[in-house]
Amino acid sequence: MGLSEKPAERLPVASSPPGGVLGAGTPTFLTTRLDFVVNWARRNSLWPMPFGTACCAIEMMAAAASNFDLARFGMERMSFSPRQADVLICAGRVPYKLAPVLRRIWDQMPQPKWAVSMGACASSGGVFDVYSMVQGIDTIIPVDVYVPGCPPRPEGLIYGLMMIQEKIRQERLSEHGALRAEDPAAVARARADADEVLALSGPFGNSTRQNRVSGPTGSDASDRPDDRIP
Amino acid sequence: MTRRTVDIPVGRGAEMGMDARPAMGPLAPVDVAEPDIGSEEMLINIGPQHPATHGVLRLICELDGETVVSVTPHIGYLHSSFEKLGEYRTYNQIVPLTDRMDYLAPLIYNCAYAMAVEKLMGIEVTERCKVVRVVCLELDRIFSHLLWLGTTAIDVGAFTPFLYAFQERERIYQLHEELTGARITTSATRVGGMMSDLPPGWAEGVREFIDTFPRTLNEIDALLTTNAIHQGRTMNIGAIGPEDAVDCGFTGPNLRASGVDYDVRKDRPYYDYETYDFEVPVGENGDCYDRYLVRMEEMRQSVAILHQALDRLPDGPINVEDPRISLPSKTDCMSDMESMIHHFKLIMDGIDAPAEDCYFSVEGSKGELGMYLVGDGGPKPVRWRIRPPSFVNLSAIAKLAEGHLVADLIMINASLDIVLGEIDR
Amino acid sequence: MPASATVEALRAAFPNAVVRDLVQSGDQQVVYIDPGSNAEVLDWLRTDPGERFNLLVDVTAVDYGDGRPLEVVYQLWSIPHRKALRVKCELPLSRLAITSVTALWSAADWLEREVYDLFGIEFRGHPDLRRILMPENYAEGHPLRKDFPLRGRFSRAEQTRRALSQDLEQYYMPEELEGRGAPQIVPADESPNSAPESQGR
Ligand code: SF4
Repeated sequence: MGLSEKPAERLPVASSPPGGVLGAGTPTFLTTRLDFVVNWARRNSLWPMPFGTACCAIEMMAAAASNFDLARFGMERMSFSPRQADVLICAGRVPYKLAPVLRRIWDQMPQPKWAVSMGACASSGGVFDVYSMVQGIDTIIPVDVYVPGCPPRPEGLIYGLMMIQEKIRQERLSEHGALRAEDPAAVARARADADEVLALSGPFGNSTRQNRVSGPTGSDASDRPDDRIP
Repeated sequence: MTRRTVDIPVGRGAEMGMDARPAMGPLAPVDVAEPDIGSEEMLINIGPQHPATHGVLRLICELDGETVVSVTPHIGYLHSSFEKLGEYRTYNQIVPLTDRMDYLAPLIYNCAYAMAVEKLMGIEVTERCKVVRVVCLELDRIFSHLLWLGTTAIDVGAFTPFLYAFQERERIYQLHEELTGARITTSATRVGGMMSDLPPGWAEGVREFIDTFPRTLNEIDALLTTNAIHQGRTMNIGAIGPEDAVDCGFTGPNLRASGVDYDVRKDRPYYDYETYDFEVPVGENGDCYDRYLVRMEEMRQSVAILHQALDRLPDGPINVEDPRISLPSKTDCMSDMESMIHHFKLIMDGIDAPAEDCYFSVEGSKGELGMYLVGDGGPKPVRWRIRPPSFVNLSAIAKLAEGHLVADLIMINASLDIVLGEIDR
Repeated sequence: MPASATVEALRAAFPNAVVRDLVQSGDQQVVYIDPGSNAEVLDWLRTDPGERFNLLVDVTAVDYGDGRPLEVVYQLWSIPHRKALRVKCELPLSRLAITSVTALWSAADWLEREVYDLFGIEFRGHPDLRRILMPENYAEGHPLRKDFPLRGRFSRAEQTRRALSQDLEQYYMPEELEGRGAPQIVPADESPNSAPESQGR
């Protein structure tokens, strides 16, 4: 259906048959030049939407302050309104209570949009393999760049944003539709389906051995009663 | 048509025991014409993702025109279950969790936690460790107040103090990094001492910082303290009297701004705070302006304490010399069988705590920061409870904001100095 | 270490309410009181001129697991007399209810809500007893109980699904609480349904 045609309304240039005289999908001189110009403009005026929750948000603030100065990369303006933003920077822990907020903010951002997951908690849950935390925001929204660290240094965040810029540089308008396609039915729903969530958030590493060995209380942490679906 | 006169008052610096500085002349009272129009109450939702709530706090405000009729805070958007996780960690493994709770003053949390465990286990730390921890505590008090200062100034419309404050914070980041290798998540303390001794030159770095920092502080002070806009936005806003403040459980600068002289460092001294020469600033009106003045003065007092602490920094070991508590040195581990066994036992089993409970509190940057630990004879606590100062302070926001404008609500929220990581835990 | 003067005074004033007292961690005075009279005892501690514990520092609870009773812990500090006291009440698992002290200190409001949320202890007479940290629609129980697994009772997929089905517009206002009446101290054994719901509201 018309999903892949949706961006065409906004970008009339792409509505000519995709590709050039050599057939669909083949770049021509005109489209590559146009790609270059559009991508150049896009990647140098990214407006970040800072979705900062915890410690990582402080490093994000440090990245925006004078010593590191995100403005050098065209991110002069932190866009606190999702409607005017291009990049979602999710910095910090995301508990389940906050998950629908994150999803709604992502849904409110207009295409084209990108997402950076900053820090171990946002990317995988970090040390918080507990009852209240989302185990990686990629179960909720699609993520383009993961910045590792706890917290990542401001340089790390800047490097991550430069990778977004690099990603934009390689995009082609002819692929725009496919890249930006998003099922409207996915609004307010998790990006990953149940199996993928289980695969992504299964306990791993040290957290498989979390238990309370001390004392007389022997509660088994990995014990999982049957899921209850009301 | 009703007429209302708005008086814009000027500085009360001298009353607060701060250096008297030339105050601007009072601005002429402004006559505000208010048409009588019928209005009905309106609900607005602020947050949970909003730049002015200083984190993921959600405020539901009922407004009559621009006046706040009631505020209902909704919290829990950053609930990371630290307390539950602590029950699954040995005492030393909990240390990295503590600085992720209050990321504005990580060293204070590290120290408070280590002190509580030491109190529970009856460990007396070395003299050098005591002084080093005092340096950590006061350095991070400045660290936290600076962030508060920068973000609060943005809330009243001043951007420059943010840049100045972050410039200074960047230097403390540097000191954190030299001390521990991390900028925010320091995890500097261990049960019975510190992660490591001070790196060479670190004390000089702190000294250099406290020598030059007051200059920046004075610049920010000159920008804000007698600034008519700042005063107009903060004076008589969100005032709370001493009885109410105690009733609401306020502690720290918020309580002292209301005129109650309660500071854990003075009233229940730890680490020989009684031997340091410093004053506890106390306000009178309990409004946003007094909270601002109290914090500004606290930073100056912290500088004074830092000077004294660095002067008396003794030599000697930093960790207690008990192989059941402190890790042996790496060289000993490699050459001495017994040390290696101790090392192995410490890492694999942890340190056993008696089956008692212990409440220990320090004066954090936001108020009384208490740690309540219940041991059961094993290496993991049965219960690790943090007495969260900003959680209790925030619970009074409905009381403070009633009858003020929405813009003042933002200022009141900022002046309470909250950190959501610790409110929601 | 002998019991402090406060405990002696407390025993004299409430001979039946004081269960036992002990000293923990060297110098910390702890006193166990009868949960049925917690409000009267705490009110006396707050107002008696010799005690004046006017700052309620903390309200929390401890679960020791194995079916042992839950403890509600009050940390008190007296600003005028500079002394601390820890008051504990033991609640059997079958009767997790205690009188709220919000009428004595407003600080108890959120602290008691948190204990209700994480432990499921009902505070009778609390003006607004509902979940504070966990979502309103949370159905897995009370997380800080020892029988609650660290990763929750539902699978991650189910938790994610439930999280995203939360209603974002949901809120509540103080008016909703009107009609429930001002916080009042109800004597402990008057409420017939003292066992709280084990699942979320
Ligand atoms: S990754 Fe580390 S620094 Fe970032 S939010 Fe998580 S705990 Fe905090």
